[in-house]
Amino acid sequence: MIRLNEVSKVFNQGQPNEFCAVDRVSLEIWANQVTVLRGPSGSGKTTLLSMIGCLSRPSSGRILLHGRNLSGLPERFLTGIRRETFGFTFQRFNLIQGLSVLDNVMLPAYPLAPDHGALVAKARTLLAQFGIGTKAASPVEWLSGGEAQRVAICRALINDPEVLIADEPTANLDSHLTREFMALVAGLKAAGRTLILTSHDPEVFEAQGVDRVVTLRDGTIQEA
Amino acid sequence: MLLNPSILALIGVSAVVNGLLLLAAFFAVRVLRHWDIRSGSELQLRLERGTYLIATLVAFAFLAELVSLLLFVYNAEAMASQFVGAMCATGVLNVNPWGWPTLFLKIAVFFAGALWLLLNRLDNQGYDYPLTRLKYALLLALVPLVLVEGLAQLRYFVGLDPDVITSCCGSLFSADAKGVAAEVSALAPSTALLALYGSGVALFLAGGHFLWRRRGAAWLAATAAIAFPAALAGLISCVALYVYEHPHHHCPFCILKGGHGFIGYWLYIPLFAGTAYGLAVGALSPWGRVPSLTKAAAADTRHAAALALIGFGIFYGVATWAMVRSNLTMAGTWW
Repeated sequence: MIRLNEVSKVFNQGQPNEFCAVDRVSLEIWANQVTVLRGPSGSGKTTLLSMIGCLSRPSSGRILLHGRNLSGLPERFLTGIRRETFGFTFQRFNLIQGLSVLDNVMLPAYPLAPDHGALVAKARTLLAQFGIGTKAASPVEWLSGGEAQRVAICRALINDPEVLIADEPTANLDSHLTREFMALVAGLKAAGRTLILTSHDPEVFEAQGVDRVVTLRDGTIQEA
Repeated sequence: MLLNPSILALIGVSAVVNGLLLLAAFFAVRVLRHWDIRSGSELQLRLERGTYLIATLVAFAFLAELVSLLLFVYNAEAMASQFVGAMCATGVLNVNPWGWPTLFLKIAVFFAGALWLLLNRLDNQGYDYPLTRLKYALLLALVPLVLVEGLAQLRYFVGLDPDVITSCCGSLFSADAKGVAAEVSALAPSTALLALYGSGVALFLAGGHFLWRRRGAAWLAATAAIAFPAALAGLISCVALYVYEHPHHHCPFCILKGGHGFIGYWLYIPLFAGTAYGLAVGALSPWGRVPSLTKAAAADTRHAAALALIGFGIFYGVATWAMVRSNLTMAGTWW
């Protein structure tokens, strides 16, 4: 589904502080599987994930989605691909403070201008599905870590993406909530989605339902 | 050399456009030498990113060129009072040998630039850079034309001498004179009108057929290419006479004057735009075979065909209205 051919990412290219975060990584990610990128801090997991999710561009190499080249596409194509293909959850969840849970979930759908009633219904269904339907009207500041993460997942799923990308999803969660999260991941996989996670938490990459673990170190793949 | 704001603006625009196009030409050479869409090399990715920036700069340059044609003609018209013998733009263009070549080069740049802009618009809708090499190869071919046009314009403006006694439109666009202008002026009005409306009918048939059946792009482009000179000939030979209400005044520039309600602008702008869009249908249509451009090419050619018909429609409408409302009556003389 997603193929990376010799992908590199170099920051501050040509300057004394040049840094190669990802170095000629080739990888294939299959549909409807859970793939975990693991490795120590600074190994290039998040950089690789952001390139796969079209949040940043490689310095060289190709990233192909269903055989279509993503790495050289201009922003107007990438915006559509990001919106339709990828859903993102971030380490710190990045929920918008001051907005309600429902508004946070609906936010990524606004540029597509769907029918508002249908959008509200969809967001409420998602929240109910993840067991936080009663929190819809609450400001996100009132949520616990586990609840905030569920809201972040609902937000990532509002545009019905093929692929869910989660960067260090359990970094702020205790073991109980981590197991709960991995159960949600298994449910999403069963629903036909592709999941790509980064983590150095054994409870994530050793969990049942994880199909593949890719180990990164110093920007290169050690084991896949 | 005479200096006025329009001349300074035209020289300034020309300098900026030439600078941008030289920069783009340098990039175009790199694209033609190193472009390899199958490669993921650092250079290829840099070229892919750069192509949008350069194409945007070139698009602005060509848009400025399109406007500069209008300003050049307007300025020539406006300077008529500064030269002895000049009554309109014709006299001003006759002041030195660079006037007419500059105008013709500007017209050539107008059409070439318009086609390049529409090709660029189409290419930008394909996710896999389908026409990038072609686009930059064409750009390399266009750059010398724009440079020569800029130089000709500079030579023309530098050579504008207010002491020169120039010849007016009456001597150039006269059936008794020599040259292409005289031959067009001498064309029988009935023949010219037949060509004008005949080519118009063919154009609208081709346009209607294309919009209805989605076929016949080349036919539409060919009829636009024929309708354009036929329209100019009809304008000089016949329509202008009705505008001036004078049976021997054939000038294609005096119709731009305020005294005639600036009707020339209502004729030339739709005619030039319609022709450019008509030609574009033929230039864009073949690229519908490229998978990533199929939808975009269909939409763009449909859009261009509709705009071509609107442009020519306005032209024929205004030309007909000018003849119908005129006090000049040539029944029994011309027909």
